[in-house]
Amino acid sequence: MSIEIRNISKRFGNFVALDNINLDIPTGELVALLGPSGCGKTTLLRIIAGMESADQGEILFSGAEATHLHARDRNVGFVFQHYALFRHMTVFENVAFGLRVKPRKERPSDAEIKRRVMELLGLVQLDWLADRYPSQLSGGQRQRIALARALAVEPKVLLLDEPFGALDTKVRKELRRWLRRLHDEMHISSVFVTHDQEEALEVADRVVVMNHGKIEQIGSPDEVYSAPASPFVYQFLGNVNVFHSRVQGGYAEVERHEVSEKTTAFVRPHDIDIALQPLEDGLQATVQHVHPIGPLVRIELQHNSEIVEVELSRERHEALQLVVGQAVWFRPRQMRVFGADQLPRSTPEKQAFLF
Amino acid sequence: MAAKTHRVLPGFGLALGYTLVYLSLLILLPLGGMILKASELGFGQIVDIALSERSLAAFRVTFGASLIAALINGFFGLIVAWILVRYPFPGKRFVDALVDLPFALPTAVAGITLATLYAGNGWLGRYIEPLGFKVAYTPWGIVVALTFITLPFVVRTLQPVIEDIETEVEEAAASLGASRWQTFVKVIFPAIFPALLTGFALAFARAVGEYGSVIFIAGNLPLISEITPLLIISKLEQYDVLGATALAVVMLGLSFILLLAVNVLQWWTANRHKNNEPLEVTAARAGGAA
Repeated sequence: MSIEIRNISKRFGNFVALDNINLDIPTGELVALLGPSGCGKTTLLRIIAGMESADQGEILFSGAEATHLHARDRNVGFVFQHYALFRHMTVFENVAFGLRVKPRKERPSDAEIKRRVMELLGLVQLDWLADRYPSQLSGGQRQRIALARALAVEPKVLLLDEPFGALDTKVRKELRRWLRRLHDEMHISSVFVTHDQEEALEVADRVVVMNHGKIEQIGSPDEVYSAPASPFVYQFLGNVNVFHSRVQGGYAEVERHEVSEKTTAFVRPHDIDIALQPLEDGLQATVQHVHPIGPLVRIELQHNSEIVEVELSRERHEALQLVVGQAVWFRPRQMRVFGADQLPRSTPEKQAFLF
Repeated sequence: MAAKTHRVLPGFGLALGYTLVYLSLLILLPLGGMILKASELGFGQIVDIALSERSLAAFRVTFGASLIAALINGFFGLIVAWILVRYPFPGKRFVDALVDLPFALPTAVAGITLATLYAGNGWLGRYIEPLGFKVAYTPWGIVVALTFITLPFVVRTLQPVIEDIETEVEEAAASLGASRWQTFVKVIFPAIFPALLTGFALAFARAVGEYGSVIFIAGNLPLISEITPLLIISKLEQYDVLGATALAVVMLGLSFILLLAVNVLQWWTANRHKNNEPLEVTAARAGGAA
C-alpha cells in the first residue's frame, strides 16, 4: 500500500511540529524519517498511524482518503520505542491479541490463531518463549515480540517509532539487519523513525531528513550522505569540518569575480589528506591530538586558531607516524560549498580550496 | 567468614526492630489482650454467644452491608478515579478534594446528615419512599452510610495505578484493531484489577468496623438492622464484658480470614506474570537459540 502525505501541518500550542509536509511513500519501500529530537518525525509517524490528527492536510492510503480514519481501521502495524507490550499477557497472547479482537465473523478459529501466532513467533525466532511474560524477556526479545504482534493482523503498512532506540549497540545492529530482511519478505511499506544516522543509512531504501518540522532532503542513503542538500543535512549526517573565514576571505573563485557573498565550505574528516612535506594548495597545521578509534585514527589539527578534524585509516596513520606537536600539511580531497541562502554552490573542485 | 550483604541505606536492623515494636504496641498488644480476656470463656461458650439468633443476624447485616457497599464503591469508585485521572475539566481539583471529605467528616455527622436526607420527610426520602423504597432506618440505610464512608479508599488506591498506565499500550491495542471496549476489558482492566481488589478490601474492612454513621441511619432494630459493633456496645452497657469480647473475637477472626483471602487473591493476580525461573535459565535450556 502506498502512502501519500499532502500539505500536513501540526502545531502544539505555539510550537510548530510539522510545517506543510509533502511526502510519497511507494508500495514496498522502507523509508527512514531521520532528524534530531523535536524535528517532528515522530509526530508525522503518529499522524500516519491515526494516533494524532493533523491540523491541515490529508493522508492518502493507496490513493484513498484516510485522514479521518480511526487508528483501528487503518490496517497499520505500529511498533513503539518502549515496546508497549501487554504486561499481563503471555508472549503468545500478546501476538494473538490482534486476531482475538477481530469481529466474530472475521475472527479465525482457535486452531488457526494458534497456527498463525506460532508461525509469527517462528519468524522472529522466539517460538520457545510463547508461554513467557514480557517482564521475563530481554529488550531485544521484547521488541521482536512487539514486531510479531504488529505483523499478526497482516498490516499493509508497518510503522516503527525509534524501534531500536532503547537497545544496546550489538542487539541494535542485529535487529537492523533482521528488520531489513523481514521487510523484504513481507512485501509491505515500512516507515521508521530514528535519530541515528548510521541506522537510517544502513537500513532504508530512502532517507527523509527532517529539521524544525520541515523536510530538508529526500534521497537514497548515498545521495543524502554524499550530496547533502543543505548545511543542516551535511552536519547531521556524520562529522564535518566547517570553514567560514577562509572561503570568504581567501577563496580564489570568490575574489576573482568580485562577489562578496558569504559562503561556507564543508569537508568530511575522511576527505582530508595529511602530508609531512609541504603540499601544493595545502595548509600548514600542528597535530593537537591523536585518538585511535577502532579501525580509524582521529587526528585533531590546529590551523591558526581553528581545530580541523581528520580521520585516517590505521595503515595511513602507521605510514605517517604522527606525534602531538608535529607540523604537517593538509588538503581536502573534496568539499561542498553553501551560500548564505543555504543552497549549494557549484565550485570547480580544484580551485575550490585555493587560499 | 559469612559474606555480609551490603546495603546502600544503613540501619536495617534498627528499622526492623522499631517496626516490630511499633506494630506490637499498636496492634498485637490490644488484640492479644482481647483474646486473653475472651479465653476466660470456654470455646463452647464463645460459639454459643456467636451463634445466638441476635448475633447471627448482626453478623449478617454487618458483613452483608459492608460487602454491598464495597462492591458499589468498587464500581463507581473506579469510574470516579478514571474520570479524575484521564479527563481535564473545570473544577477538577475541587472534585478531587471532595473525594477525601468522608475521611475528614466526623462519622456521626455523616450518619445524621444521611438520615435526615433519606428520612420520609427528607429532601431525597420524600421522593424515594412513595416509590416503595425505604432507605432510612432499614438495612439499606446502612449500605448508604457505608458506601459514603468508604468511597475514598477505592478512589485513592486506583488513582496512582491508572496514572501509571502507558497511553502507548492503549494506542498499541487500537492499532491492532481493538475497539474501545475491548481495549478496556482486555488491556486496561487487567492492569488495574489488583489495585481494585486492594481498594475493595480496604473499603470492606473499614465498613465492617464502622459504627458512628451507621447507628444514626440504621434504626438499630435487633434482628433486622442492628450491626455487630452496636451489639457489642449494648452488651458492654449491660456490663456483659465477656459477651462483648466473645463477639469481638469472632468478628476479628472473620475479618482476618476475609482480608487474608482478598490479599492472597490480590497477590496472585499481581504476581502471576512476574515469577517463574529467570530468563537466563530458560535461554540456557533452549540451547541459546536466541
